[in-house]
Amino acid sequence: MTLQEAQSITALLDQETVQSIADEIWPALVGDGEAFVPVPVAPPAEVVSAWVTISGPWDGAVVLTCAPATAEALAESVLMTRPPTVVDDEDVADALGELANVLGGNIKSVLPGPSSLGLPQIGSAPTTGRLDDVCRVNGQWRGQSLTITVQGATPALHPSGTEVPQ
Amino acid sequence: MRALVIDDSRAMRRIVGNILKDFGYEVREAGDGQQALDALREGKAEGWVPDLCCIDWNMPVMDGLQFVMAVRANPHFRQVTLMMVTTESETGQIVKALAAGAHEYLIKPFTADALRDKLALLGLLPEEVSA
Repeated sequence: MTLQEAQSITALLDQETVQSIADEIWPALVGDGEAFVPVPVAPPAEVVSAWVTISGPWDGAVVLTCAPATAEALAESVLMTRPPTVVDDEDVADALGELANVLGGNIKSVLPGPSSLGLPQIGSAPTTGRLDDVCRVNGQWRGQSLTITVQGATPALHPSGTEVPQ
Repeated sequence: MRALVIDDSRAMRRIVGNILKDFGYEVREAGDGQQALDALREGKAEGWVPDLCCIDWNMPVMDGLQFVMAVRANPHFRQVTLMMVTTESETGQIVKALAAGAHEYLIKPFTADALRDKLALLGLLPEEVSA
């Protein structure tokens, strides 16, 4: 294992970089004037996550987590739906997944490469690995809690991987 | 002008499609590279060949790079302009896509103006929009 492979995400990426990536994505994808504000609010009782994995010199995932109602509002904004049109579960999963995908792709571009990006997944967030291999930005969108987490892989994320430091 | 928007995300297909429609394009959609190849073949049979394909990279079944290679291997679709629209922004990936036959590369997230600029570079912006 090389020194680079052993680096944790905090040595490769800081919260400001994650925020600057979100600053580009929100107006382009969520809508004009929309922003991910890096000021934490109380976390919701129930959450849903969307994530993409990154495989390469650094292995892990980029995870977007919020309340189901926030995910629905995000989908409505991304899809520009107006009443009486309503978004269904598939729309919500698709929109949240695409946000995670674009976040993940842009975060991958600032990490050592070459790396590959997995397809978006939705559900309960994967468990985090080492505590020092996590870069998390707790923030809000339209006053609702939203968290972007860049976290190192665990054996559960990459069962056959051998490059993840234990 | 006609465009085929290829992305596994419905949201992204809608975003790209709406921008293209605002530019005057007639738009069809496909959810992966294989669906897009099928759409090209079916379209050709009915006389609908797109001027432009906007192609995501990471998709199930057949990814964007495989689609580009498949289209470039088919002389019937030589006139179709291929533009990658993707989060893949590593230089190596961009070079790989261009070498495979993609004409342009647009990195997500992008604005309508950025897409418009790319179309203008490709000569695919309808005159009434460029004016």
